[in-house]
Amino acid sequence: MASSARTSTDKASADFEHIPPTSSPQSLSKAVHARRAEYTRPQKIRVKIGSWNVAACPGTEKDLAGWFVEGKGIDKRLAGLQIAEGIEDNGSQEHIESVDAQEARRKKKESTIPRGDEGIIAGGDEIGIYVLGLQEVVDLTSAREYIGRVYTDPEPTAKWRKALTDSIPPGYVLISEQQLSGLLLFIFASPTIAPTISSVSTVSVGTGIMGYLGNKGAVTTRIVLGETTRLVFVNSHLASGTDPAHLDRRCWDVAQILQRTHFEPISWAGVLDDTQEGIGDEDFAFWFGDLNFRLDGLPGDDIRRLLMLHTKGEYDLGSKSRNKIDGELDDADGPIVIRSVDSDSDSEGDMPKTNTSDRSDGSSTDLPDPDDFIQDPSQDPASLQATLDSLLPHDQLRHVQKKRKAFHDGWREGPITFLPTYKYDVGSMGMFDSSEKKRAPSWCDRILFRTRRDKAEYDGKVKEEALARIKDDEMKARGIDHAGDDEDVLFDYNPDEDGAEEAANNEYDEYDEGGDDAGQAVITKEGFVDRIHLDVYTSHQRVLSSDHKPLDAVFTLEYDAVVPQLKSKIQQEVARELDRAENEGRPGITVVVDSSPDSPQTDGPSDGPTPRRVSTGSAEGVEFGHVAFLERKSRSLTIANTSAVHTTFAFVDKPSVSGEDRIAPPWLSVYFVGSASDEDERAKKDLKREVTLEPGDAVNVTLEVFIDDISLVKELNQGKAQLDDVLVLRVTDGRDHFLSIRGTWQQSCLGRSIDELIRVPEGGVRALRPPRHGSGAHVNRGSEVCWSAPRELFKLTEAVELLTDRVIADSNMLDNAHLPLEAPGWPFSEHSWTLQDKSARETRKRFVLEALDSDKSLNDSFPPELPSREKLEIMAEVLLLFIGSLTDGIISESLWTSLDHDMVARGTKQLTDPEEIKTWVLDVLSAAPNHNISFVFLTSMLCRVASELAPVPKFSWKEQVAGSARSSMETMRRSLSWKGKAPPLPSDPGVVRRQAVEKAYAEVLTSVVFRAPAAPMKEKERRALEEKRRDILEAFLKGGRDT
Amino acid sequence: MAARGPAGTRGGSTRFAQFKLVLLGESAVGKSSLVLRFVKDQFDDFRESTIGAAFLTQTISLDDNTTVKFEIWDTAGQERYKSLAPMYYRNANCAVVVYDITQASSLDKAKQWVKELQRQANENIIIALAGNKLDLVTSHPDKRAIQTADAEAYAREAGLLFFETSAKTSENVRELFTSIAKKLPLDQAGPRNPRAGGRGGVELRSETPGTNANGPCAC
Repeated sequence: MASSARTSTDKASADFEHIPPTSSPQSLSKAVHARRAEYTRPQKIRVKIGSWNVAACPGTEKDLAGWFVEGKGIDKRLAGLQIAEGIEDNGSQEHIESVDAQEARRKKKESTIPRGDEGIIAGGDEIGIYVLGLQEVVDLTSAREYIGRVYTDPEPTAKWRKALTDSIPPGYVLISEQQLSGLLLFIFASPTIAPTISSVSTVSVGTGIMGYLGNKGAVTTRIVLGETTRLVFVNSHLASGTDPAHLDRRCWDVAQILQRTHFEPISWAGVLDDTQEGIGDEDFAFWFGDLNFRLDGLPGDDIRRLLMLHTKGEYDLGSKSRNKIDGELDDADGPIVIRSVDSDSDSEGDMPKTNTSDRSDGSSTDLPDPDDFIQDPSQDPASLQATLDSLLPHDQLRHVQKKRKAFHDGWREGPITFLPTYKYDVGSMGMFDSSEKKRAPSWCDRILFRTRRDKAEYDGKVKEEALARIKDDEMKARGIDHAGDDEDVLFDYNPDEDGAEEAANNEYDEYDEGGDDAGQAVITKEGFVDRIHLDVYTSHQRVLSSDHKPLDAVFTLEYDAVVPQLKSKIQQEVARELDRAENEGRPGITVVVDSSPDSPQTDGPSDGPTPRRVSTGSAEGVEFGHVAFLERKSRSLTIANTSAVHTTFAFVDKPSVSGEDRIAPPWLSVYFVGSASDEDERAKKDLKREVTLEPGDAVNVTLEVFIDDISLVKELNQGKAQLDDVLVLRVTDGRDHFLSIRGTWQQSCLGRSIDELIRVPEGGVRALRPPRHGSGAHVNRGSEVCWSAPRELFKLTEAVELLTDRVIADSNMLDNAHLPLEAPGWPFSEHSWTLQDKSARETRKRFVLEALDSDKSLNDSFPPELPSREKLEIMAEVLLLFIGSLTDGIISESLWTSLDHDMVARGTKQLTDPEEIKTWVLDVLSAAPNHNISFVFLTSMLCRVASELAPVPKFSWKEQVAGSARSSMETMRRSLSWKGKAPPLPSDPGVVRRQAVEKAYAEVLTSVVFRAPAAPMKEKERRALEEKRRDILEAFLKGGRDT
Repeated sequence: MAARGPAGTRGGSTRFAQFKLVLLGESAVGKSSLVLRFVKDQFDDFRESTIGAAFLTQTISLDDNTTVKFEIWDTAGQERYKSLAPMYYRNANCAVVVYDITQASSLDKAKQWVKELQRQANENIIIALAGNKLDLVTSHPDKRAIQTADAEAYAREAGLLFFETSAKTSENVRELFTSIAKKLPLDQAGPRNPRAGGRGGVELRSETPGTNANGPCAC
């Protein structure tokens, strides 16, 4: 039964790996999350992302409301608007202010947005989340200026926040704003969406000067929408310049931004996620800003002029810009095809989608749908779209994507149907940089996006390629040269797969058939199915205040959002279930008190009035019955794991009256059986040990009571202490069991005063009525004095004398009964005992004490087979124990004080003659007759024992004292005549031995006979004191020499 | 370099607080029955007296965003085990001191417990006084030994929450615990874990400043 306890902890815990659920925030959150489908409901919102390099131009903020919020400033003729879901107004733009008028009235402090423009793309309160990325909100022409301004000047942020707050509908909430030098990123959400946004984290990464300053870099914000969907918005300004080195730097910037952006952990229902996420962990990412990618491989001026032919075609007559453009175009060499776009096709707002990019990069073999053919502007060689399509293959961004240098891992872009956004003369609509530099127009400003699926597909593809390469290498290693052929075969094998790869490869080519209408389904990190659809991607050509045109994109995002009310209902259900499981799956034990193993023998007939049942629950506790001094009694418990899980328990400390926490009282030992019962020390350690049991296993505990402390005996005799305690058995993660421990104290003659003992009636202390519980009063029967000295003392001294005679007789008759006479202190001195075994002595002492307490014959108390020698040793020890335990002592404190007083008074003239000493001492003791008599009993017994064990032949003493040594005043008076006689012959060995015995007895007895105030004293004083006392005792021993 | 959004914009976050609750009171006033009703929604007409300290947990939601988990220590009421009570009210965040409205002496005992708690326990402990066995006096009003007004006056004076309850009919049982939960300092951490390993030690996060103070939930 018990053996299992030891090994259980080592046993493979595989059987119990199922840990019962508890309702911690973690488990609660996990269990709630598992039921998310029950508390999420589909949501559909529009997200508008705007990006604009304001080139630190004054007044740019005046235009913000117009283009970003109200959807104004779009020239339909110069922005194809092929993605039409976000366009609300199909009407003509006839009533809009003319470009000419617009350009003419331009002032720095006023909005440049054309008048009469009602805005044609979704805005206002149709948008759930507005995200605005600005670049160059401060002038960054010099690094010094940058360093000086960026960390100190909150003005640009404040200015733009105000511009934005003023333009978006009231009630929209600022979710995040952060400025890094010229970069500024704002996120605002509608009043209904804002409360569903959590875990907002914004990180700035500078990649500019020295690779770290913020003149270039990105500001990125991550939000969690509806507790389900992670969105990431990157507003970046990459390195500028047209050299190949600049292009590389842009790619480096991107890599740095990706590498150095780490968001704060997401908090799910108040519990922080333990992983730190970066860009790539989100469900939907949007990367926008001035990415600074240029058009490679074409003369810049040609692009300018080619594009300006288009812008010219759209101009009203008489426009200032047009004149300027006309002037430039007149200088041009070579033929330039000018096609004026007729107003019918211009006003066509709802154009079919095209796979422009497919065509432009030449990788697609798809033929255009014949139905689209006529209407598709890209198929019209003279259309703006055809021109744009012819330029786009030169776009550096598409090159780096293809070469996997940047934005290759799933990033996509809507079709570009608008003019390059850079670089215009400030204040003009269509005039590309007319300055000396005549910079090549390019699509510097972009809005890219990526879904979780896009990234996963790319990652999958990379993995596949790596595998294919390994396979290829293997085949080559094996000398098979047809690896390439095989690949072709594989490639052609499944056209569908081929197409999918194609789509993944050309990330900007997202709108292939199927994915278009419903939006692309994306499985989010949290396991929801979301969809995103790009509605609009366009630039605002008629915003004139910067040399960049602003651009924006509107996305429709469908996602499953948590409905707080539903979630809280689920949460309550889950909490209830977890509580139930936790409480039912709690570890638990059953404690059974076993029948006592020692009942018939030691309990005796006087044991508890109720017979113990074979076993009981723990409620009744452990009853030890009658407990006497030095009596060992044990009880056994069985602790069984009656729960369904493994259970760990231990006895624990509890507060005690004395203030010191302890597990059990000093008189009780507790140990787990089968573990350490053999050694006391280990048992004590064991007490604190935790035991783990598997379900169905059990362990035994032994409780043992043992009282050997006289001070406790005194308290128990007086009823000040009780054998009554409670052990606390604590089950880890379970309940506490209280184990009541009770015993009934058997009155003992030890630890009492002479005054008390002379009142003990016939029948011994056991015959006393037990003191009332807690009364602390003296024994309340036995008020009458029955004896002149404690009868226990009389009986003990008598028994010692008797046994002395007996051992001498035995030693004379029996061969094996020789006496340890070489030790002068025998049988009183501890070192002289032939029986040293402590527990054997304890058992034997019990016989004597039991007989004393119940007033039985001491001589018959021992089992007859014990040798007399042992009996004498035990009797002597009990005598010393008894005398020592007297609360007042034979020579009480006051008696000793008197003696001491006399000695001090005598000064140097101390008494030396034993008879004189005896007379003086007895005189002092006569003040307390009971003590006096006790003292005489004791000393005369010692004399007799000494004379028996160390006899001195008569002739050795010059003077003999006749008569019995039995104390009587007569003897003592006569012994006075010994005074002044010559001392015994020192040379006689019998005399020498006798003196040694007397000295040894006096020494042993000194420590138990005298009481004195326990004043702290030096070692020297203490020794002098002891010597004085021993001298007194020795005088009585010498004075008692009778033979 | 990182910035968080302004307060009040984030929604959906929940706070979770864990508190240690101890039940005290004279033997046989119904401490275990109150716990059984609260945790399992059950009632036994005959229950053995508690020898030891029963341990149970119960989680309740205060509103959409706040969850409170009670670690309940149901102690033995017998006089013999009185000296062990400090083990349980030590570190307790809240206590329910129970008396029996049909036993006059049980309120005296309850008052002693309140006094001891106020002297020895955590100084911020929330104490509720519960006069149990309300069901007994609804049918036999003459059985009542302690007038509601008297106990209520005492509770007010001593700064205690006060309810008369019936574990048998479940009257006011949930209200008792909910009102304690509402009074607890939800913005602070739950109990320090007094026992090694395992339970407790919950860090409370409150991220929602705009928690709506709805009434108690109906769970």
